Amino acid sequence: MSEAGSLVVEDLDVRYGPARALLGVSLSVDGGKVLAVLGPNGAGKSTLGRAVSGLVKPKSGKVVFGGVDITGWAPHRVRRAGLTYIPEGRGIFPGLSVLDNLKMATRQVGRRAARQAAIERAIGLFPILGNRSQQRAGSLSGGEQQMLAMARALAVDPALIIADEMSLGLAPLMVDQVFDSLEKARNQGISIVLIEQFVHRALAFADTCVILTRGTVGWRGAAADAGREVLDQYLGEATAAAESAAAR
Amino acid sequence: MGGAVLQYVIAGLVLGGIYAIAASGLVVTYLSAGILNFGFGALAFFVARFYYYLNTENHWGIVPAGLLSILVVGPALGVFLYFLLFQFLRMSSTLVKVVATVGISVAIPPVTTLVFGNQTILKAPGLAPQPVRVFKFLGVPVTMDQIIVYCCVVGIMVIGFVVLRYTDVGLRVRAMVDSPAMTSLSGTSPNLVSVGVWAASIGLAGLVGVLSAPIIGLDAGDFTLLMVAAFAAVIAGRLRNLPVAVGVGLAMGIAGALVQYGLPPNSSFTAAVIPSIPFIFTALFLIYFIFRGGGVNEEEGVGGALDRAIRPQGGEAQVVTASSDRPAARSVSYRAVLIGFALVCLLPVILHGFWLGLVAQGVAYAVIYLSFTMVVGEGGMIWLCMATFAGIGGLATAQLATNHGWPVLAAVLLGGVIAVPFGAVIGFLTIRMGNLYVALVTLIFGLLMENLVFSRNIFLNLGIGVNVGAPDWASSARVLSYLFLAIFAVIAIFIVNIRRSTTGLALNAVRWSERGSKTLGISVLQMKVVIAAVASFVAGIGGGMLAISLGVALPANYATLGGMVWLAVLVTLGIRSNVAALFAGLSFTLSSGVALVYLPKAFGNVPPILFALGAIFVAKFPEGTLAMQARQFREIGRRYRLMPPRQRFLMAGGGLATLAYFILWVIEVPHYWWIALIIGSVIYHAFIVWILVKGPMVAVAHAGGAPAGAVVPGQAPTLAASANGMAAVSSNGPVPERAPSEVAEMGLQ
Amino acid sequence: MTTTGVPSVAAEAGAVGRPAGGPLMSASNVTVTFGGVRALSDVSIEVGANTITGLVGPNGAGKTTLFGVLSGLLRPDAGRVTFLGEDITGLTPQARARRGLARTFQQPELFMGLTVREHLVLADRVRHQRPRLWKDMFTAASLRRPDRSENERVDAILELLSLQPIAHQMADTLPLGTSRLLEVGRALAAAPRVILLDEPLAGLDVVEAERLALALRRTVEKGDVSLLLVEHDVGMVLSLSSQIYVLDFGVLIAQGPPDEIRHNAEVRAAYLGDEEAVESRTSLEDHHEHQERHQ
Repeated sequence: MSEAGSLVVEDLDVRYGPARALLGVSLSVDGGKVLAVLGPNGAGKSTLGRAVSGLVKPKSGKVVFGGVDITGWAPHRVRRAGLTYIPEGRGIFPGLSVLDNLKMATRQVGRRAARQAAIERAIGLFPILGNRSQQRAGSLSGGEQQMLAMARALAVDPALIIADEMSLGLAPLMVDQVFDSLEKARNQGISIVLIEQFVHRALAFADTCVILTRGTVGWRGAAADAGREVLDQYLGEATAAAESAAAR
Repeated sequence: MGGAVLQYVIAGLVLGGIYAIAASGLVVTYLSAGILNFGFGALAFFVARFYYYLNTENHWGIVPAGLLSILVVGPALGVFLYFLLFQFLRMSSTLVKVVATVGISVAIPPVTTLVFGNQTILKAPGLAPQPVRVFKFLGVPVTMDQIIVYCCVVGIMVIGFVVLRYTDVGLRVRAMVDSPAMTSLSGTSPNLVSVGVWAASIGLAGLVGVLSAPIIGLDAGDFTLLMVAAFAAVIAGRLRNLPVAVGVGLAMGIAGALVQYGLPPNSSFTAAVIPSIPFIFTALFLIYFIFRGGGVNEEEGVGGALDRAIRPQGGEAQVVTASSDRPAARSVSYRAVLIGFALVCLLPVILHGFWLGLVAQGVAYAVIYLSFTMVVGEGGMIWLCMATFAGIGGLATAQLATNHGWPVLAAVLLGGVIAVPFGAVIGFLTIRMGNLYVALVTLIFGLLMENLVFSRNIFLNLGIGVNVGAPDWASSARVLSYLFLAIFAVIAIFIVNIRRSTTGLALNAVRWSERGSKTLGISVLQMKVVIAAVASFVAGIGGGMLAISLGVALPANYATLGGMVWLAVLVTLGIRSNVAALFAGLSFTLSSGVALVYLPKAFGNVPPILFALGAIFVAKFPEGTLAMQARQFREIGRRYRLMPPRQRFLMAGGGLATLAYFILWVIEVPHYWWIALIIGSVIYHAFIVWILVKGPMVAVAHAGGAPAGAVVPGQAPTLAASANGMAAVSSNGPVPERAPSEVAEMGLQ
Repeated sequence: MTTTGVPSVAAEAGAVGRPAGGPLMSASNVTVTFGGVRALSDVSIEVGANTITGLVGPNGAGKTTLFGVLSGLLRPDAGRVTFLGEDITGLTPQARARRGLARTFQQPELFMGLTVREHLVLADRVRHQRPRLWKDMFTAASLRRPDRSENERVDAILELLSLQPIAHQMADTLPLGTSRLLEVGRALAAAPRVILLDEPLAGLDVVEAERLALALRRTVEKGDVSLLLVEHDVGMVLSLSSQIYVLDFGVLIAQGPPDEIRHNAEVRAAYLGDEEAVESRTSLEDHHEHQERHQ
């Protein structure tokens, strides 16, 4: 129950123009724990990540990270406060080299020597990146790109990582690698908000779980209790809703 | 012989090197900030003029003057403009970006004149000590100025490469180019990087200015032409490829020199071809791109997927109709249009002599502005060559009427017809281009026409132009004004008629969504070509009318760069409304008249500066001042109805008193009517502020589109806040725009 | 389409070209490559008369690409698209629209300068009137009264979708749910035979989604029109459609009626990443790169 790395989201409302992406979403993660955020596409999972990390400004609601209210902070400030968001679809600079990607990630670390050490530690976690350090990040394979994204996150000792759909579009072997790298983060005591489409993998990994449906929290609870509920949410409830609509 | 070629190549490389530096300054800001800076040339001119002021006029040494100009003043300008303008532009539509930076290019030259004086400077020293030393290189003379340019080009390229490739700052810039959102997520503030990039880019503009002054002299127009030539290189690099842009810049310089070497030196053909070379380059590149790639569109590939995902939706939709209020979105309401037109119809009665002439000119401009309203306002196409169509009409009118004995009105009509094929062809060629390319291509087309066609002596007539007389029965300025007003009304009704027909619906549809229109079965090509043809006809007519009102058709009156000022004027007042076009035309001529007659000579340039500022601030208030005023009126009307009788009486009395005062003044002292105008508008604005502050606070939806009686919670504070801000303008800010959708939802559920 | 009036053009085309009982629209063996990478390989689907057909698949499966091919915004590298018995593979979007194919977009492509009603009026006129550009320009077109049949057709659609209360509101003021309804309405006003719906429910809240689903169902029940529905919300698709196609990594992995799809192991694997089912996906592993490029 440590406050460091904890995240509390209260009553978050986000709109993109006329579209309401999130409606009164509340959730929380304790320090060092893993929260899985699940839900069908368009449910607002990525919007949640973007709002918490400051990329989009919430219309109302509150985001408290490590006991500090960070609502409305600019993304670079949020990152410097220790909250790292790995956005959907490769959180890297595809046009920069692998090394430059790591350099950008560690810019917030003060001295040159400390930065060098941070980069070396990141490469230590994912040795394959060392061999590719001069390669354009966009030319890496999908799995390697996600490893780079994770290395960029872990290099600066964040307190919390929000990993958005990291297994998206990856072959199963690559998905394993992604979860291995998440495991490394968890072992360092970092809290994780895991936004995922592979429900069973995510539930097996997480402590608690939140299911979003059309911008609202549809279900929340311990990950272990989620099995049946999740399937209903994906394939069941919407069916029921449509049928009731038709009956009306 | 070989030595002669070499001499030309050396001179060509100098110009090419300057193009290359300018192109890199343009590409860098386009890549990292998404803005192609049309004000680059004007900024270069400002810094060059500043250097001349220090070095020549105040006898500073070359080194301190150069360092202060290039390393301090240029970058400081960049930082200043970033905070004033550029930071708001990133998320804006292409139209707003183009217009705002065009505003800079319009504002800077008169500001420079205001600051440094108005004398013509034909020869300006460069960075080389005077007298300029001349060296011999392979038997060919090379000046110190030329050597300095070479050193600067090489230096900039090397420094640029090293900084971008190997330093931390360069890494941040490259990261910004890749994705601003990711940069931000990596813990780097994109704003800080942007400030740096703008400082560097305007610094480069300053360097370009100081380096080119010895070659092209110190004339703002020439600097803008130089920048437009650099655009050719930028287009060749498809706006993104720095090495290609630099290479093409150099190549253009050399090509120009070789053409100069190969052509007979004293023919008028050579004189026309040389400045056209960059434009011919551009045309070739675009044709190549279109045939190879099937179109050019800058909107692909700026930033990453994440940047696009978090861009606010409907951002484009806010461009022209920030209001959701139906009448305001279409145009100012009909009653307001009629009142406005009636007021203008009074002008020829109360004004005399000089001012009456200005009214006729103003209405002629208004007709030209109607063509902007169609192309930019209705069609959503950013055409910077409307002045050229007006020129075609004006010059043709003069030829037909004066040299071929046509009746002048028939000549005006045929002038308009002659402009049509040009417009249709441009519309057809630019159909598959992105907005920014359209703006560039039309700008270049205009300059090309100006250089190659308008400069022929048959039009120029040794610089005095060809005379055009008004019809005999309209030789009095008053009759002419009414004739023009009638023509304006006919064209305006024609436009309103199209706007409200099926074709108008389809045009509107194409303007907002090409994909939606196509899949509905609307032919986008047909729509765009039609609107282009009609608009160029209207512009041609307006050009002919302008020639009549001035008594002469002079190519200089239809300069493409002057057309950019026109655009600034119209955008300031509102690009979508016919009545705004009328007011824009009149205020363009009347305000210069006021400045000419009453202000000291040095301040003669104030009106264009004000209009340019208007265009710059379109970034913040995209609908134009007229639509804003209309909304203000409605807001006041609403407040008025809610007032207790005593306040109402006071307010109505005050309003009538102001009006009576104005009318009395005009009748008594017609020559100083503008003082009454100023005092009247001060009283008017005092009224607005008073009403907004003291008037009853009622929570009403800000925009009239809301159902009657709907009360939106949370709306009142917004109004109150804007009222307390005192600025009448801010009550129209974008803040409350979400309200109507809430209301709509409430209505639905 | 009893209430909205059957367009004579479409009826004739249908009568001439379409084999009795055959599909209204079909894509056969469509392959699309982006920069040497396959986004769709050898996909065939059919849309039957007066039905709702569903097209589902995880993110980046190639659904939107297939839609592009069907509506004419994308050219396939191989394969054919037929509509009402005619090969339309090489036709432009406008030409397809004139033959009776309409579509909606994932991001609504509304005309922000028009009111709700004007959207429908425009669609109706594009379909039912000859082009009248010159007439519009040189006669008092803005004073012309719309004819009665046009008003009836437009009002019928407004009523079908419950859009009457906001008929005169500008499109840029609409919330997303209503925008999507309006897109469906605009498509209907063009009196099409087939409407392609690209994720009509994305970003809607539960109430809005229900309302739209109801409208879609009513549309098909009332009129002679078929829908092809791309949607992430599998539950909704299963409840609405009579035939469903499942795409994954650009390949068709399943097709059939809802019950079959609901219990198809491969589909569950694609959506849920079930451990046991993942094994069956390894054959698809070499496709994963396509997907990334496509995204």
